[in-house]
Amino acid sequence: MNGSARSNALARALFGALSVGSLLFTWWLVTSLELVKPLILPPPSDVWVGFLDIWHGYLNVPFWNHFLASISVMLGGYAMAIAIGVPLGIFMAWNRAVDWVVGPLLQILRPIPPPAWIPLAILWFGIGYAGKIFIVFIAAAVPCILNSYLAIKQTPPELLSSARSLGAKPHTLLFEVAIPSGLPTIMTGLRIALGIAWASIVAAELVVSLAGFGFLIMNGYRNLESNIVFVGMAAVALLGLLMNLVFHRIERAMLPWREDQDNG
Amino acid sequence: MPNNLSYENVTMRFEGRSGAVQALDRFDFQVKSSEFLVIVGPSGCGKSTLLHLTAGLYKPPTGRILLGGEEVREPGPDKAIVFQNFSLFPWKTVHDNIDFGLRINGVPAADREDQIKRVIRLIGLDGFENHYPRQLSGGMQQRVAIARSFVLKPRTLLMDEPFAALDAQNRQIMQEELVRIWQTQRPTVMFITHSVEEAVFLADRVIVMTRRPGRVKEVIDIANITGDHHWRADPFDEVIRRADFQDVRSRIWGLVKSEISVRN
Repeated sequence: MNGSARSNALARALFGALSVGSLLFTWWLVTSLELVKPLILPPPSDVWVGFLDIWHGYLNVPFWNHFLASISVMLGGYAMAIAIGVPLGIFMAWNRAVDWVVGPLLQILRPIPPPAWIPLAILWFGIGYAGKIFIVFIAAAVPCILNSYLAIKQTPPELLSSARSLGAKPHTLLFEVAIPSGLPTIMTGLRIALGIAWASIVAAELVVSLAGFGFLIMNGYRNLESNIVFVGMAAVALLGLLMNLVFHRIERAMLPWREDQDNG
Repeated sequence: MPNNLSYENVTMRFEGRSGAVQALDRFDFQVKSSEFLVIVGPSGCGKSTLLHLTAGLYKPPTGRILLGGEEVREPGPDKAIVFQNFSLFPWKTVHDNIDFGLRINGVPAADREDQIKRVIRLIGLDGFENHYPRQLSGGMQQRVAIARSFVLKPRTLLMDEPFAALDAQNRQIMQEELVRIWQTQRPTVMFITHSVEEAVFLADRVIVMTRRPGRVKEVIDIANITGDHHWRADPFDEVIRRADFQDVRSRIWGLVKSEISVRN
């Protein structure tokens, strides 16, 4: 990184801290001057108390139970979406017959927003893990399928021609040319799916659950404890951010040949 | 094994949106074994199509192409093709790009390392084995693409404007390098270019093609003009200043120009 890039990064961090800092300051100011009711906007101190409450076991449920409830269901549905969605997208792109059979079904199901599946998921799978895993799966599978499909369809034709001319047979073309060539697009799909999976587990928990961050948020709302709502939302945001960071690391490690690896 | 190419009344048409396009019309020609043949002609005259057909990537609807008396039916490592945009596998290092063809054709691992080492030395890229294509200049990438084909000991090397994407200096260096590499095995070369100078410098014979549908307009026997001491045996920048070279160049350019300007 050269000097100007470093000072750019510094300026960016500075402005970021400034904008977050002024938001927190405004929050503190508005609440300590009692311009709004604590129910509408709880003061930072209340939120801290709410956090300690949750940390030490809000309504006798330990914090890690909420964490595990949300994370385990999300990862379960996400893993299923990858395991089924990626191969499905790849084979649809590679085999016209699969595309013709599966394509229309996907076109029908795709416009249904994931939360609209929640009632049906409860009827089919009950209010336990299975129903929520199903919601996460339905939501996360879509970007997995679509990006994998695109990734294979967009294989540069000259790469395929070169490989054929070097002696590659169809299975080699798929596994050693089309898939590695499309891996960046597939990984982008998995990253989008991760965000959607996280959003849909929280949405499902808002509707029906006995633990998890969505449950915390909904419980705070029902008991008129808006500080609990805040803590739940903040936890969702921070964990979402963290997962995205971890994913970014994995992505970079898997694609050392990418153009953008030198910058940043 | 003779590596002569016979084109017998080869015709090729493509079905496009605006009707069928006749790319080649009864192309009839004999290329001698180990000959360096260069094809020039106006854009869209079917030069690239001819090369793709020779590589076996498509099958001509009428006519036949024979390599050493056997009809070309499918692509394979005996008919190596090199494209303008190098078409290296961006996720593979220089070493692994060259290894690809050897590996999928079942060459034992021990022999492969030996051959890779030798061909990397031949193209002067020792020390770059573990670089990815994006870390190399255009000229270096094209050397790797040539090496990747050459290591499979092709009977014919098909080059589709291989140096068109390079700057003038690199192009000159690569022309001289190609002659040196070619002479180590002397496969039959079919080389397409827009540069008449390049054609005159490299070719045993130059074919000038008509505009679409492509046919042979005229054949210029360079080797017959130069005798035993071919122009390509000397440095390019010396050769192009010679009067006899310039005579041939302007004669061929006149033939190409008449095909470009005679419209309707």
